[in-house]
Amino acid sequence: MLYRNTVGAFALASALLMAMGVAQAFDDSKYPDWNGQWRRPPGVNNQWDPSKPRYKEGAPLTPEYQAIYEANIKDQEAGGMGTDPTYTCIPDGMPRAMNVIFPMEIIIMPKTTYILIEYLTMLRRIFTDGRDFPKEFPSSFMGYSIGHWVDTDGDGHYDQLEIETRNLKNPRAFDSSGIPLHEDAETVVKEKIYADKANPDVLHDEITTMDHALTRPWTVVKNYNRVRNEIWVESICSENNDHLKLGNDVYMRSADGFLMPAKKGQAAPSLKYFEK
Amino acid sequence: MLRGSIGLCALIALVGTLGTAQAFDESKYPDLKGQWNRTTAPRWESAKNAPLTPEYRAVFEANVKDQAEGGQGDTPTFTCLSPGMPRVMNAYEPFEIVVTPQSTHILMDHIHDSRRILTDGRDWPADIDPSFAGYSIGKWLDEDGDGRYDVLVVETRALRGPRSYDSTGIPFHKDNQTIIKERLWLDKANSNTLYDEITVIDNALTRPWTTTKKYVRGPNRKPVWSESVCAEGNQHVVIEDEPYMLSSDGYLMPSKKGQKPPDLTYFKTRNKQPAE
Repeated sequence: MLYRNTVGAFALASALLMAMGVAQAFDDSKYPDWNGQWRRPPGVNNQWDPSKPRYKEGAPLTPEYQAIYEANIKDQEAGGMGTDPTYTCIPDGMPRAMNVIFPMEIIIMPKTTYILIEYLTMLRRIFTDGRDFPKEFPSSFMGYSIGHWVDTDGDGHYDQLEIETRNLKNPRAFDSSGIPLHEDAETVVKEKIYADKANPDVLHDEITTMDHALTRPWTVVKNYNRVRNEIWVESICSENNDHLKLGNDVYMRSADGFLMPAKKGQAAPSLKYFEK
Repeated sequence: MLRGSIGLCALIALVGTLGTAQAFDESKYPDLKGQWNRTTAPRWESAKNAPLTPEYRAVFEANVKDQAEGGQGDTPTFTCLSPGMPRVMNAYEPFEIVVTPQSTHILMDHIHDSRRILTDGRDWPADIDPSFAGYSIGKWLDEDGDGRYDVLVVETRALRGPRSYDSTGIPFHKDNQTIIKERLWLDKANSNTLYDEITVIDNALTRPWTTTKKYVRGPNRKPVWSESVCAEGNQHVVIEDEPYMLSSDGYLMPSKKGQKPPDLTYFKTRNKQPAE
């Protein structure tokens, strides 16, 4: 009797579980609720280390790259773009994208977490399906990101997303001050993203960058505030972009659309391809 | 007997617990995962099929003439402006569809082509900032009554210009009052085929214009997503509202025969002409 009842119980439960198993493809209660829109906190600019002023972030650059950085500052002071490459509207790339100049959305799915950043249309796909880094993969500004979810407090719910990003391409800089990354583009970026324990509307991203332009891994913590009932505003970099590169020099477009120098005393661009 | 009943209760409790955790029943939605590719050239339809008003037929013909002379006509994307809706559904690059209960995202790495379709039951906001992608509200339908959604109907408004249907330059009305209605569904006989029936209502048209796009799902369930950065290597520049080209060595060159060079009055010094 006991046997028959147990068999019956298992049969019934199994049938229910199977039926639910089909339906329950994604148990999203296991994952943190990071819905909504995430923004830089008020008063925080878009420098790489938000705890320090721009140009005084203390990047642990090698002497070679410190010299490159200083030359870049000199060029920027003269009106140039230095080593900040995004004036042509190429993406910030990683890790700079996490400066989150414009707001971001995080979509958590079982196999991939998507980070959508409106500025320069930066899309991050963080694969959480257990895959390894592919042997051959085209490099990109956003890189190839593999993540895994961690239940740090053992309560049965994931609360931290750990990410490693590789396969990056250049040119990139940490921020608009032009802190450079190494020209070999062998950057590896490791992140831990988690909500604040005391305030679920605050998200932290601890970002460690390993790069041959640095003397040691450089860790910064970014904070983002959640906005609910969000409004998404489209940002098209190339619209009204006043910078253009001709030959090896950067020029500007004036308010009335004419070509103009970006630096004092800059020579006009060559017009050698036009009929005399 | 009692032990058997306890076992049954325990298992039912387990099922109940799982039921609580099931916040997003993914099985209600069609499986749209994977990489979707267009099946034809990225064109809307033949321009001769476009039910343009006489005024906009003339606009289109002038655009064809300008393109024949080397200009860009009414195709604004050469400066890396977003194609906008409905042109993004030409699917210049492969796209991914991410379905959540609140929204369906169409992620397309081309210029600025990704879409956010809101399916949370909201109504049109009183004020919407117009954008190239527009504001899209969607609704899932279970048309065959099998308890699963099978059609996503979408309406898109609040668009801005300049936009065209494709690179041939079929124009939209400059008032940007375009409304786009879509029905997306999987082929009943082949779930690797997706259709999007798109109806455009626009004041440049004499009647709503409907076309059906067909996309096929790539075989790789872990597809390669290549980054596409329009601004990288774009050979087109606009100065004084005039389109020019960049030569392979990065210098300005005419896009049309006999085109005059840009005005250099903002420069005090003429450039040393590079070695020719």
